[in-house]
Amino acid sequence: MLIFAISDKGGTGRSVTSTNIVYRHALQGNDVCYLDFDFGSPTAGAIFSVGSVARGTTRTGLHDYLLSEGSPEPHRVDVWTESDREGLRTKPPGAGRLVLLPGNEGGGELPAVDEEMLRRCVQLFSRLDEEFDLVMIDLSAGRSFTAELVLQATVRLPTVPFRWLVFHRWTRQHIIAADGLVRGGDGLLDVGARFGHDRDTLRDRIRFVRTAVLEPDAAELVGLRDEQRAWLSACDSELRELAGRHKVGRTVMLGKIPLDPILQWREQLISDEDVLASKIANAETAAAFDDLAKKIVDDNAWEGL
Amino acid sequence: MGEVHTGLLQNSGEVPESTCHELLNLLSGERVRVSRRPIVHAVSPDLLTGVDCRLPSASRSRIRGAGTVLSRSSITGGRVVQGSSHTRIERAGSDRRQPWSHYLARPGVVEVLGKVKARDLADGFAEEPPPDGLDLGAISARFMDVVQTSSLLDRRTPFKIARTKLRWVAEPGEPAITFTLRSDQMRTIRLVHQGEFTPGVVDLCEDLALHDWLLTSLLVIIERARIGGTSATETAVKLAPAVDHLLHLWMPMARVDDALIPFWESLDRRPGFTRQWQSMVDRVRDQLAVRTLAFLRETGGGKAQ
Repeated sequence: MLIFAISDKGGTGRSVTSTNIVYRHALQGNDVCYLDFDFGSPTAGAIFSVGSVARGTTRTGLHDYLLSEGSPEPHRVDVWTESDREGLRTKPPGAGRLVLLPGNEGGGELPAVDEEMLRRCVQLFSRLDEEFDLVMIDLSAGRSFTAELVLQATVRLPTVPFRWLVFHRWTRQHIIAADGLVRGGDGLLDVGARFGHDRDTLRDRIRFVRTAVLEPDAAELVGLRDEQRAWLSACDSELRELAGRHKVGRTVMLGKIPLDPILQWREQLISDEDVLASKIANAETAAAFDDLAKKIVDDNAWEGL
Repeated sequence: MGEVHTGLLQNSGEVPESTCHELLNLLSGERVRVSRRPIVHAVSPDLLTGVDCRLPSASRSRIRGAGTVLSRSSITGGRVVQGSSHTRIERAGSDRRQPWSHYLARPGVVEVLGKVKARDLADGFAEEPPPDGLDLGAISARFMDVVQTSSLLDRRTPFKIARTKLRWVAEPGEPAITFTLRSDQMRTIRLVHQGEFTPGVVDLCEDLALHDWLLTSLLVIIERARIGGTSATETAVKLAPAVDHLLHLWMPMARVDDALIPFWESLDRRPGFTRQWQSMVDRVRDQLAVRTLAFLRETGGGKAQ
């Protein structure tokens, strides 16, 4: 299955969340790979703590693979053997493969979509789907040629299942922007329909993920004054009402990731060790990733609305 | 020299012979060949790819060759796909590049323009080809893609598994064969045969590639089943696809020329392909038998009446 990760704006925590989802999915025993399609800023290597590709690869990265005819297969990084983080360097028993396909160092956004690029993209997705249970494709924020490319590619692969995750923060601006990215002019549905997707089917394959969510009853808020808490609570219900109006509400939400200080300071994978041994991460965050990693393939969570 | 890629046919079940016919009908007017005993094996007609590129060289000399590569796709047991390409490297009559008609008259031969040492070529074959080098693997992969992306297949495979690549080189001399596992997916064979090169060598390499893929895949499935590391039921569920789709496909030397059978036999003695296969098959069957006994005990069906 192909999963496309996109966000309305930058800084939503899309990459760090989607890497954590594939990491958890691998721990659950599946073979997974992660494609860094954020060509303007290919930093997935840093999140997986693979120093050699922290800012993309100098070999054939995905950017080169798509743009140059005759280039060899894209560079693959086996995270379980190549990560610099000791806790990641041993594959836990029962875990599946965890492979990163980095972008190019100094790649840049795609200038346009052409037929050859599309053919190569279809070939890449088709081959990876043959090999991996889950293929996560991390796209750059907002509307881009990369998003257009993958929308076209999936039209040509009618038997390969795919799903979209739209990441947004729990604020007024982000809720409106997330709705616009999907339903707005030149949004995913518009562009998808233009290239041959059925609008309703495509809509059913899109779910929203809220990031850095601060629940009004969270432990972090204990020190706040009553007035502040009341204000936050009022804001939260206002946002819920807004999300409902913009069709970004609970029914189309796949999950939410609580605000975790560790992710504000450093984008990284949250291992069980971070939660249990060093205790730098919150158990709720790891549980949220784990839950999303299960829901992403759970058909019940993706039933048509 | 040649390269064979092997993978699981992207379909939920075995495909019947008639579908194999349609899948491999890559060139209209040419017949798909099918042999039915001891296992159904269908082969597409041979197709030519024109090449004018750098040839492998251990000493990294710039050797140029021009000619054609012969490729074909095949399906064994309605379940395993192969894409296979090969070419014979020969010294050109003259050092001048000839018109394509000259090369087309000699299908499956690449002529070397200039000086070349056969040993240097053969020593360099296992390396990854440079960007302007002869890439038989890329051609084979495309011949596999043609089958794998066919609309006749549902792509709902019972398990995900990587393709394997087998790169081979054959030269005349005192008979010998060396089989090397270079990485998880890459294998090489270096074969020295008596007398002239025959197409039988290609059949032999394809047969070895097929059986190496079966071994590799069964090993992966057994590893995923975590025998002893998880519940017996879960192990049995993970092992079941092997029984349904792989175990009956082991049919070594089915299409190998009598004169070349000693090569297969020597690999069967060491490292011992069939021995390893048999021990794994026994292991799978024993696990399922143990599970059945446990199940009978749980349901009370195992009690003497």
